[in-house]
Amino acid sequence: MPGSFKTEAVVLRSIRFGEADRVLHLYTEERGRVGAIAKGVRRVRSRFGGRLEPLFRVRLILHEGRGDLCTVSAAETVHPHARLREHREGLDRGVQAADAVLRLFDAAEPNRPAYNLLCQELALLDHSPEAATRAQALAFRMKLMLAAGFAPELAGCATCGEVEAGGLFSPAAGGVVCSACEAGAFPLERPGQEFMVAALARPLAEAPTAADPALRQADRAIVETLEHHAHVRLRRVA
Amino acid sequence: MYAAPVSRLIAELSRLPGIGQRSAQRLAFHLLRASSEEAAALAEAIQEMKRTVGLCERCFNLAVGPLCRICEDPRRDDDTLCVVEEPSDVIPMERTNEFRGRYHVLGGALSPIDGVDPEDLRLEELFRRVEGGGVREVVVATNPTTTGEATALYIADSLRERAPSATVTRLASGLPVGADLEYADEVTLGKALRGRSSL
Ligand SMILES: [Zn+2]
Ligand SMILES: [Zn+2]
Repeated sequence: MPGSFKTEAVVLRSIRFGEADRVLHLYTEERGRVGAIAKGVRRVRSRFGGRLEPLFRVRLILHEGRGDLCTVSAAETVHPHARLREHREGLDRGVQAADAVLRLFDAAEPNRPAYNLLCQELALLDHSPEAATRAQALAFRMKLMLAAGFAPELAGCATCGEVEAGGLFSPAAGGVVCSACEAGAFPLERPGQEFMVAALARPLAEAPTAADPALRQADRAIVETLEHHAHVRLRRVA
Repeated sequence: MYAAPVSRLIAELSRLPGIGQRSAQRLAFHLLRASSEEAAALAEAIQEMKRTVGLCERCFNLAVGPLCRICEDPRRDDDTLCVVEEPSDVIPMERTNEFRGRYHVLGGALSPIDGVDPEDLRLEELFRRVEGGGVREVVVATNPTTTGEATALYIADSLRERAPSATVTRLASGLPVGADLEYADEVTLGKALRGRSSL
């Protein structure tokens, strides 16, 4: 049904298209994933300016035609994340966050928790570029997994429910497992497990931290769980 | 609908950037009506270009032969290197008549989301050129896009480590001449404000 609608969105990815256009992958507040074309945006004097660059949070008017892609008819900045763009770690982590949302949320249906989480993460990286640590990036991924419905089972054995589980993580089972259910599991020692639990429990701005070996184990648990259950391959954070 | 050779030409033409099905048909019919010489000249020009133009061994700009025109020019300054994403970016830089140094063409910009990592670009070649000595300043002229900025920051970090004596500079960002202030985005305007100069 052709027509225009308004929504807030974060630009996840932008691909050059034709002479002066770009195809945008947007994560919108109102409709989840939306693809849109921004006409003439690569011209120096485009009225969009830099507003449709990845990691901009914008208020958009999108026109829905008959094709798959909407057309951007107006864009207004909500948050440019200007500081983040000037720090290598911050920018890399910001792009990594957009990449995770791009891969995990490909449906045209809204997911407010995921949208808010992405906005929070970008605002945080913009406000304090020194927050762009591995632990912070992993904490964001944990929360994103929760928003996507893939949060791992961390309280007891994911297979049999045994509460004495600990020390082992099974991506196939989707959580920690006991020694009786350990097929396909790898070590997730207490510090890594505690890090994952705290990452889910605490606000993003107060993300927990842990020593490198624990972060590596948590990283592996997250990436392999998503690979197994969401069929999405994210790069390791480290 | 068309004779097979005409369909084939239309199909080939419509793969060109900015050429849709309609334009491809128009071009094909133009060539059909044109003289044999005119059509052959176009075909030969394409073949000659593909046969003779390659990449410069030193800077990866377009070149006929091992080195490009700029690398071969003895009047250019060896101590300043301008880093751009694509060979097509060299031309607008040259048109300014402001730059007298040499170039290094990366072949793209870093974008992990699109699967473009450092080893996919000519970054190692750049670092080795600068490490080799004689380069005083590296002007990073990647696009002022998210991927272009990420590439610039990566180059600056890497050169700080590998060639600390070289200065790394970035093209200034600001307002395009003739544009309206009210259309400027916040990042551009902020940079323009910080980069203001006295009159
Ligand atoms: Zn069990
Ligand atoms: Zn050259």
